[in-house]
Amino acid sequence: MKLILSTSNIMTGGGPSVIRQATTDKSNVELINSLRSNFQASQQLFAPDATATYPSWTRLDNGALYIPAIDFSQPGLAEERSQYDITVKLFYLPGIPASRRCAHTREAIDLVLKELHADSIDLLIVSFPGILFDAEDDSEEEVSSENGSEEPDDFDSIIQTWKTLEGLQEKGLISQLGVAEFGSERLARFLPHTKVKPSVDQINLKDCCVVPKSLILYAKQENIQLLTHNDCMDILPCGTTRELLGPGEKGAGILGSTPDANDGLQGDVEPQWVVKYTAVVKDRGVVENKGYFALADVGNCVKARS
Amino acid sequence: MGLLALGTALDWPEAKKCADQVRKWGIEQLLANWRRARGKERDALLWGDEVEYLVVAVDEETKKARLSLAQADILKSLARDEALWKSGNSPPPQNKDHEGEEPPTFHPEFGRFMLEATPGEPWGIDFKDLLKVESNMKWRREIAKAHMAPNEYPITLTTFPRLGTKDDYIQPYYPPSGPALRSQFVPDEIANPHIRFPTLAANIRTRRGRKVELNVPVFKDINTADPFKDPTVDYDLHHWPEDDDVRNGAAKDDHVYMDAMAFGMGSCCLQITFQAKNMTEGRKLYDQLSPLGPILLALTAATPIYKGFLVDTDVRWNQIGNAVDDRTRGELGEAPLQNDRWRIPKSRYASNSTYISQDPRLRKEYLDPDLIVDEDIKKRLMEGGMDDLLATHFAHLFIRDPLVIFSEDLEELDLSKADHFENLQSTNWQHMRFKPPPPEKSDIGWRVEFRSMEIQTTDFENAAFCIFIVLVTRAILSFDLNFYIPIQRTTENMETAHARNAVLDQKFYFRKNPFSPRSRRHHPQPAQSASNSQVSSATSSAYNTPPPSPPLGPVESEYDLMTISDIINGSASGSFPGLIPLVESYLNSLNVDVETRCSLASYLDLIRKRANGTLWTGARWIREFVASHPGYKHDSVVSEEICYDLVKAVDEMSVHEGKNGTVGWELLRGRK
Repeated sequence: MKLILSTSNIMTGGGPSVIRQATTDKSNVELINSLRSNFQASQQLFAPDATATYPSWTRLDNGALYIPAIDFSQPGLAEERSQYDITVKLFYLPGIPASRRCAHTREAIDLVLKELHADSIDLLIVSFPGILFDAEDDSEEEVSSENGSEEPDDFDSIIQTWKTLEGLQEKGLISQLGVAEFGSERLARFLPHTKVKPSVDQINLKDCCVVPKSLILYAKQENIQLLTHNDCMDILPCGTTRELLGPGEKGAGILGSTPDANDGLQGDVEPQWVVKYTAVVKDRGVVENKGYFALADVGNCVKARS
Repeated sequence: MGLLALGTALDWPEAKKCADQVRKWGIEQLLANWRRARGKERDALLWGDEVEYLVVAVDEETKKARLSLAQADILKSLARDEALWKSGNSPPPQNKDHEGEEPPTFHPEFGRFMLEATPGEPWGIDFKDLLKVESNMKWRREIAKAHMAPNEYPITLTTFPRLGTKDDYIQPYYPPSGPALRSQFVPDEIANPHIRFPTLAANIRTRRGRKVELNVPVFKDINTADPFKDPTVDYDLHHWPEDDDVRNGAAKDDHVYMDAMAFGMGSCCLQITFQAKNMTEGRKLYDQLSPLGPILLALTAATPIYKGFLVDTDVRWNQIGNAVDDRTRGELGEAPLQNDRWRIPKSRYASNSTYISQDPRLRKEYLDPDLIVDEDIKKRLMEGGMDDLLATHFAHLFIRDPLVIFSEDLEELDLSKADHFENLQSTNWQHMRFKPPPPEKSDIGWRVEFRSMEIQTTDFENAAFCIFIVLVTRAILSFDLNFYIPIQRTTENMETAHARNAVLDQKFYFRKNPFSPRSRRHHPQPAQSASNSQVSSATSSAYNTPPPSPPLGPVESEYDLMTISDIINGSASGSFPGLIPLVESYLNSLNVDVETRCSLASYLDLIRKRANGTLWTGARWIREFVASHPGYKHDSVVSEEICYDLVKAVDEMSVHEGKNGTVGWELLRGRK
């Protein structure tokens, strides 16, 4: 079964949990805290129903359990679409086969469009697992994922994924595409394989004033905007997901404490992707709506990795 | 300062007789304009900063720095060039750094030794615009300098350290004790000669019934006399009836005494005006920025010297309040009320006393229960359709008398203008100002002005504070932040901000939790099991109405005393998130390019370090400069020699900005 986790609008609903102290480095605190606080707020709205298969504050729809339930009929944005810049960042997660990305991309974008009542997005940035930009030597480190057994994301699968994105761009669903954490070498290797060039390369820098000159020059030459971000690489690890959804004190009480336990849904849980969306009122600089969706497989639908 | 109208200005007894007419007409103009503009929607964020300069003439030979009264000549020369650019006969002062930017504009100010400069066109929220602010400010300084004599400099000190001393601190020299100001320290020629200014000063004095009175506690150094009796006060002057003021005890022991509008209105400030999306957003920003006024005042503190003495306060605010205080003894509560209607607790220049947003979070406990309001005016505004809160606000501003009235304007009421409204609106110098769109310019929206900050010595700092406030407004709107505290606490904070080194030593009332309770757009439907997913949306019996919001606790539990660092950087306990982390969190939600983020980081870093004491305020730096000057005798006296060196140092700072251990590193860099 698919689990669709959502935060709703974290700008007005998140409170202290989404504000990080300036001293903490990049992290996934914002995602985890805002998911948790959205779960808690939704739980409070519903009387528990012991007879239901799933908690009353969730909803099963088409084989996907929405945690919490979402009423998509509410308007997503206060003004019409043209007033906004909508940016979406899609995190492909480590350990998930690249072959699923085509479907995942579509799935994630559909959810965002449905949530915002929009028919297109302005910028889609994709984050490939295992690529980490290092400002010190202008070469990306290829980091292995949590359990160390995975190969870093290979170049061919990036190009394959990009073709999917180019297709969505062609259909008018996305105006501009972007990548994250690409150094100049990777960009140079990547660009010849693209029909639609990325307009954006998003890099995470502890001190953003230290950007390698080679990257600045190359990006300028190729007309790629260098943007900053502070998201972390492995934004939603399996363990965190189980903790979020499990029976514990801080959990949502949906999953069992372990794959075999009887205190919730049984089976392994495997996060597939996370998507972050932001709608900013263009000429006023106001962030009106920002949130996350995450999709995890649980139980028998955790597919074997080919 | 806007355009200066010309006409026949009425002296006080005449002006007083017309006060009711001006107020009435002003209110009718306000109503007409409010009706016209209340539906204005979707205005972009546009904002502008105002930087004010002292013009200082330096005499290298005698090692003297004097205020130069050259404002008119400089403005004339600037206007001549501007006319040339506009007519296309000469290229505007463009250079490659300012491509596409309109040349800045310069304006007169109260003091004839002052200049004000604004960007040629307002800024937007495009981050490219934010990056232009600092270089534009530098450009303004260059242009201003280019139109001055070679030995004159535009200096961004709030006050000239030796304004009003016995020596020739102005150039050209004029003796004090003129008919308009009747000051024993400054001549009438110190003020802009436009009829508005001497009239303003004279009418304030006449209405008040004596000269204005500024007593600033002296900073007691080891060799300062005890008690300190201001040695510059002349008790034997007999030119004007007002010369009796000092014989009647106007000058207080242990205080530096000043007696003219120029000591206040001759101060340089850093003010920002924002255009809001609509009236509702403007009213919200007015309320939410109000509690920040005293915090930013303390954080920008830069005014430790008056009339050649170190004083025991760090900021200019109350001195300006006293310098334009037109209240009678009756209104002040020093004598029974005779001809006046109310006792009025604050000067026309003071912290603001109203909240105006129709915001469900605005509790009535936050309002000032003792607010003085002209009930007739409020009634008229409400009859005209205005809501209670906004009507109260304007009926509060309109308790004052108009000070400068031109007889030509009293012939006919023109509802398409705002002159009578502005007569009162713009002589209520509160730390926030809510500005209706000007009737003659349909492209301008509702605006809010943030007025408490002190000017900083360098354009880097001035840009940093402006941009910080701009980003705070965006964070307020994006996170729907709530900074409400009872408005009297803000008044108290304003006083607290005056204390020497308040930025580190004092605590300020501030709201503990700036977040609003979760407002949910989505109302989840009940759960559906796989088997009944088609029908269950109709059976929403499990749906509870949301629990009623917890009853509001006592107002006193909502706020606490916090240090400036707690407010800016977040409290150590983590209970208050801090304005900088809020701004950072806002920025993290946007697409910001690397170069911009780097500049913004350097601005935010300055604010952060000013708040936590790593970097000094201007006030502290000036104090240390004086204290370590070989000519200082630890008697509180800031001599001509020290003043000269200070002015030179400040000018050098505006160029080198404390880089590589140059002067001022303590307030700009934190290390040599």
